[in-house]
Amino acid sequence: MLLFSMNEAAELAIGSSMPENTHQMIETNGKNLTLSDAKGDKGTLVIFSSNTCPWVIRWEDRYVSITESYSPKGIGVIAVNSNASRFDGHESLDEMARHARDKKYNFPYVQDPGSKLAKAFGATKTPHIYLFDNKGMLVYRGAIDDNARDAGSVDEPFLANAIEQLINDQPIEKSTSKAIGCSIKFP
Amino acid sequence: MKNIILLSICLGMQSCGKVELMPSTSHEIMATVKELKGEKAVLINVWALWCAPCVEEFPMIVDLGEEHHDLEVIFISADFDDQIGDVRAFLDQNGVHSISYIKDEKDEPFILGIHPSWTGSLPFTILYAKDSGNIVDFWEGKHPESRFRTTIEIALKS
Repeated sequence: MLLFSMNEAAELAIGSSMPENTHQMIETNGKNLTLSDAKGDKGTLVIFSSNTCPWVIRWEDRYVSITESYSPKGIGVIAVNSNASRFDGHESLDEMARHARDKKYNFPYVQDPGSKLAKAFGATKTPHIYLFDNKGMLVYRGAIDDNARDAGSVDEPFLANAIEQLINDQPIEKSTSKAIGCSIKFP
Repeated sequence: MKNIILLSICLGMQSCGKVELMPSTSHEIMATVKELKGEKAVLINVWALWCAPCVEEFPMIVDLGEEHHDLEVIFISADFDDQIGDVRAFLDQNGVHSISYIKDEKDEPFILGIHPSWTGSLPFTILYAKDSGNIVDFWEGKHPESRFRTTIEIALKS
């Protein structure tokens, strides 16, 4: 008997089309934003994130540096907070706005009503990274790199490698990776 | 007098009531699980101090381990090594006085070594049958005690 259960659907498979790209999410400035609005000419990076997860806190400086490096090269970046059961508390829009200011986010940070986007992606934790090409097809899924604790000691920068390969029209050598993270707090 | 003698022994040993926290890879954990086949059912729980659902369910799992003598509970902390002191204190406070484990491996090989279907979300629980050593069930996230009990009963009889 084997009854493996996760909270939501199986993870989005490599090669899948971007789901729910018109789902209205709420940006920290109160305006609505969709994944389609955040698309880049060369691809789109979706980061499921949180204000409080210690693994996000260790990695999020790299959200900013990756955006600095690759937004000018056509990668659209958006961070999504799908912790719907915490939207009245630590993951509120006000807390998200404060967090984005403090951490100098250079990309939109949006709230995902009902955790709808996370459910559609099969995302289970934060941070959880999804990279799509310019046709909206998933080409990479997983972790930013192999060292949350120390950016200077990374052996394999999984995401940066995938983005470089994407923007240079090369095959993605490693399309999935795994890392520990905080569970998404679904409603 | 007896209490004074016991206290003296404890102070001399310096380890009474203190958990031994072993940095371990998934390979080492799996070797331990394999050794217990035929002797005990095994419950692995991967947790972390910063994981609220992990901390919430932790005492319940400790109690289940104490209740079932044929069940070996293996806790593996996914905390960073600069938190070893806090991890040890938490384990002590929650009545874990035997060997416990802390991840000593990069995330991806650790996750794949524990179970390839695990996404890395915490907490993660997996149960192995006593006689066959086969996996009975595994799940991500916090689950009710009833699920633990039902699965433990199956593991003890398999």
